[in-house]
Amino acid sequence: MAGEGAPTWEDVARSHGRFLYTVAYRLTGNREDAQDLVQEVLLRVRRGLQTYQPGSLEGWLSRITTNAFLDDVRRRKRRPEDLLPEDPDWVLPPTGGADVALAAEVLPDDIQAALARLPEDFRAAVVLCDVVGLSYQEIGQTLEVPVGTVRSRIHRGRALLRKALTSA
Amino acid sequence: MSAHPGDLLSAYLDGELTARELESVSAHLEGCAECRRELQSLGQVRTLVRDLPPVDPPFGLFERMLRRRNRWGTRAAVAALAAGAVASVAMMGMASPREAHVAPHVAQLVDAHTASASTSGDPISEMTPAAVPVSFQP
Repeated sequence: MAGEGAPTWEDVARSHGRFLYTVAYRLTGNREDAQDLVQEVLLRVRRGLQTYQPGSLEGWLSRITTNAFLDDVRRRKRRPEDLLPEDPDWVLPPTGGADVALAAEVLPDDIQAALARLPEDFRAAVVLCDVVGLSYQEIGQTLEVPVGTVRSRIHRGRALLRKALTSA
Repeated sequence: MSAHPGDLLSAYLDGELTARELESVSAHLEGCAECRRELQSLGQVRTLVRDLPPVDPPFGLFERMLRRRNRWGTRAAVAALAAGAVASVAMMGMASPREAHVAPHVAQLVDAHTASASTSGDPISEMTPAAVPVSFQP
């Protein structure tokens, strides 16, 4: 059951629909999957599968959304080890990439396309940090990983984004 | 010079370092132009993502979901009402004193069964009664 004072899914849809859809879109990278994800989130809210703790409603929704997204990714993945490459050289572009200035006219669609190419776990960490605005500790709780892992995923995610955006 | 801070640079940007880490990274940055450039470009990326605009959901998305939800609600209510009605009838039946004396029309049922069994299209059965008449007193 949902915790005491948990909002109904109708409340969520009415008051936080745009926020929810934005997070879903940034995670999935396309409108169809974003709609499916939103629907799944509202179902989870309705079924009370996620315990609500009074506090930030957006943080709570972000947690449900990210969990639903990663659950779906893992269901689809035939090779789960692809999610987290162990070799840091595979992930991190050479530091020399920092010398290349990002174009001032980078469009939101370019950024979204670069986000969509990130490994999902890195993408989730970056979205929770920079789109939702959660702290590293909150992100760690959401993703159920230590703060050190959060640091690493955010940093690698940003480095990959930089590489994608400078080579675009 | 100390080792490049690596992952700590993003945490530095986000204000997520411990006091000791902050001191160490700050000292490194003072003497390392490469890490300063790295920090600057990571900051640009962070700003780009942070400045992404909210995305409007497709028109009517939530309204459609709400309507669907209401239909589910109506169906569930109808099903619950129907189940309740059945349960009520059953309860009334169980509570009725008439049920204490059950007197089924067994004789009629046996006759009907016999008749149907002996006229099943089998010519031999049609020539010979399948069963003797039964008289049953409740």
